[in-house]
Amino acid sequence: MKMTSLLAASALAAVLAVPTANAQETLTIGVLVPTTGSEATYGQDMANAVELAIEEINEAGGVLDGQQLTSVVGDDACDAQQAVNAASKLASSDVVGIVGGYCSGATLPTLQIFGDANIPMIIPAANSTQLIPANPGNAFMINSTGNDQVAKAMEYFEANDVESLAIVHQGDAYSQDLAELTRERWEEAGNTVAAFEVSSKGEQDYSAIVTNIRSANPDAVFWTAYYADGALLIRQLREGGYQGLIAVGDGSNSPELFNIAGPAAEGVIGFSNPTAEFLPEAAAFTEAYTEKFGNAPGPYSTLTYDATKLLAWAIEEAGSTEADAIIAALESADYQDAIAGPISFTDENTLARSNFVVLEGQGGAWQLAE
Amino acid sequence: MSLFDILAQQLVNGLVLGSFYALVALGYTMVFGVIKLLNFAHGDLYMVGGFAGFFALSLVAGFAGPGWFGVAISMVFAMLAVGFLGVVIQRVAYQPMLAAPRLSILITALAVSLVLQNLVLALTQGQYTPFGANLGFGGINLGNLYISNNQMILVGTAGVLMLALELFVSRTQYGRAMRAVAIDKDMAQLMGINVNRVIALTFFAGSGLAAAAGTMAGAYYGSLWYFMGFLVGLKAFTAAVIGGIGSIPGAMLGGLILGLLESFGTQIPGIGSEWRDVFSFSVLILVLVFKPTGLLGKSEQERM
Repeated sequence: MKMTSLLAASALAAVLAVPTANAQETLTIGVLVPTTGSEATYGQDMANAVELAIEEINEAGGVLDGQQLTSVVGDDACDAQQAVNAASKLASSDVVGIVGGYCSGATLPTLQIFGDANIPMIIPAANSTQLIPANPGNAFMINSTGNDQVAKAMEYFEANDVESLAIVHQGDAYSQDLAELTRERWEEAGNTVAAFEVSSKGEQDYSAIVTNIRSANPDAVFWTAYYADGALLIRQLREGGYQGLIAVGDGSNSPELFNIAGPAAEGVIGFSNPTAEFLPEAAAFTEAYTEKFGNAPGPYSTLTYDATKLLAWAIEEAGSTEADAIIAALESADYQDAIAGPISFTDENTLARSNFVVLEGQGGAWQLAE
Repeated sequence: MSLFDILAQQLVNGLVLGSFYALVALGYTMVFGVIKLLNFAHGDLYMVGGFAGFFALSLVAGFAGPGWFGVAISMVFAMLAVGFLGVVIQRVAYQPMLAAPRLSILITALAVSLVLQNLVLALTQGQYTPFGANLGFGGINLGNLYISNNQMILVGTAGVLMLALELFVSRTQYGRAMRAVAIDKDMAQLMGINVNRVIALTFFAGSGLAAAAGTMAGAYYGSLWYFMGFLVGLKAFTAAVIGGIGSIPGAMLGGLILGLLESFGTQIPGIGSEWRDVFSFSVLILVLVFKPTGLLGKSEQERM
C-alpha cells in the first residue's frame, strides 16, 4: 500500500518535472456576479455557467497552445458599493478578462475600474442603456439593451389592445432606465401612461401604489425591476382587486417569482432574453449543466456560457493575452458558435441584434407565449 | 374612483402599514424606557421573528393548514422563541455594557444587528424565502372601497396585542415594576424590585411583539429575506420618536401616524411614491427639531 502510493507520488513528480512551460500556466477569468443578496439565484447560475464553459474549454485543450483556464468569483451582491470593492479586488488579481455584470446599477461603477486597469470585459446580462455611454471601450454587452426590450414590450402591448399603461420601477439604474424609456416611447406612440410609480427596494408594502394604480385603472401594469419585489407587487395588485394585464421586465423572469407570488402570478407576461429552456440549440448545454449542478440553468446561464466561450475565442483570435489585442478581436467579432445566436457588436460595443422573447406564466412556470 | 374613495382606501392601507410599524415601535420604546438604549437590533428581531414563524408553519401546516389558523400557531411560537432570543441577547450583549458609557452599548446594538443579519444570510444564502402561507382572497366592498379579510385580521390582531400589552403594563404588578424601573432604576431597586428581571421581561415582551409583526408580514406579503428588518427597523424607530420615545401609547400612535403619512403622502401632487421614504424621514427631522420629546413623550431632566 505504502509502496504503491510512493510509486505514484514519484511518477507524479516525474510528470510535473517535465518542462512544459505553457501547459502549466493557467489564465484566470474574473467573474463578477451577485452570489448573495436578492439576486443571488441568478448570480450563482451565472457563476456555474462560467465553470461549465471553462471545464469544456480545458477538456478541449485550453487556449493558446494548451494553457488552462480557471475562474475567480467576485460577489457584487447587486449593490453598487459592494460591486466597486469586488471589482477592485478582481482588477488587481491578474485576470485575463472579466465575465460578469448582472445588475446594471451594480455594474455601472465597475466599468471605470476595469477600464482603468485595461481588462477586457464581457457583460452577459446587465443591459441598461446607461451602461453604453459609461463604457470606456473595454466592455462588450452581449445581451440586447433596454431599447430592444422596450420595442418588444410595446409591440406586445399594442397587439393586445393595451391603451393606458401603468409603469412601476424601483429607482435603480436598470429599472428606472427601462421604465423611463417605456414611458417616453409609449407616449410618443400616442398612448397614455396612466400612472408612473416608484417603490423602494426592500419595501414590502405596495398598498399605496396599488391604490393609485386601481384608481388610474390602466389596461396593463408594467413592472421593470426584479422578481423578488415584483412578486410582492403582483400579489398585492391581485389581492387589491386589479384585474388587468401584468407584465414584467427581464429582471423578473425567474421561476422564483411563482414561489413567492403563488397563484397571483398566473397569466403574468414576461419579456426575456433567450433562455436555455426556450432555445432548441441549448439542449446539450442544459443537459450538461443539469448533470453537473443538479438544477436547471437559470435565465442568464446561456448568455454567461456564451460570454465565457466568446472570451476564450477572442484570446485565441488575438493570439495573446494582451488586453488590447483581445479587445480588438472582440470589436471585429463575428462569432457564430454562441447558443443564443451569432454575436457581433455595434460601434458602441452592444449586441448588433435584438434577442427578446415573450413569456407567459402558466401553471407556476414560464412558457413561451407566442 | 373618486378622490374620496382613494383617500378612504389609503386610510385602510395606512392602518395596515401602521399596525406593523406600531408593533415594532413598541419594542423600541419599551427597551428605551428601561435601559435608555436605542436597540438597533430590534428590526432584525422582526426579521428573525418572520423566519421563526416560517419554521413553525412548516411544522404545523400538516395539521393546522397554511391558513390563518396555522399562521396564528406559528406566530405564538415565533413570539416565544424570539422573546427568549431577545432575553439572551440582552444578557449576553447588553448586560455587561450597562455600566459603560451610552455610546458603547449603542455600538453593541449595531453589532448584534449585523450578527443576526449575517447569521440569517448564511443560513438562507441570501435567497428570498417564500413564506408558504395560503391566506386566500376575499374581502368586503364598500362602494369603491375594498378591504380584504386579511387586512382586517392583521389590524385586529395587532390591536389585540397592543391592548394586551397596555393592560399588562397598566394593570399588573410586573407592569407597575416596569414603569417604576423606567422612571428611576436605582430607586426601583431600593424599593425591592428585581431590576434585572424587569429588564429581561421588557426584552421578552418587546422582542415577542416584533416577532408577531414579522410572522404576520411574512404571511401577508409572502416572502422573507435577511435584510427585511432594516427598513422596518428604521421606520419603527421613526414611529417611536414621533410618538415620544419611552412612551408606550406614543409608539402605537406614532406607528399609526407614520403608516397614514406614508399612504397619504403618495397622494400629494408632486410628492408621489418616489418620495415616500423622504417624506417619512422628513417628518422625523421635523419632530426632532420642533418637539424632540414626541407627541406623547414627557420632557425629562437628566439625572446624574
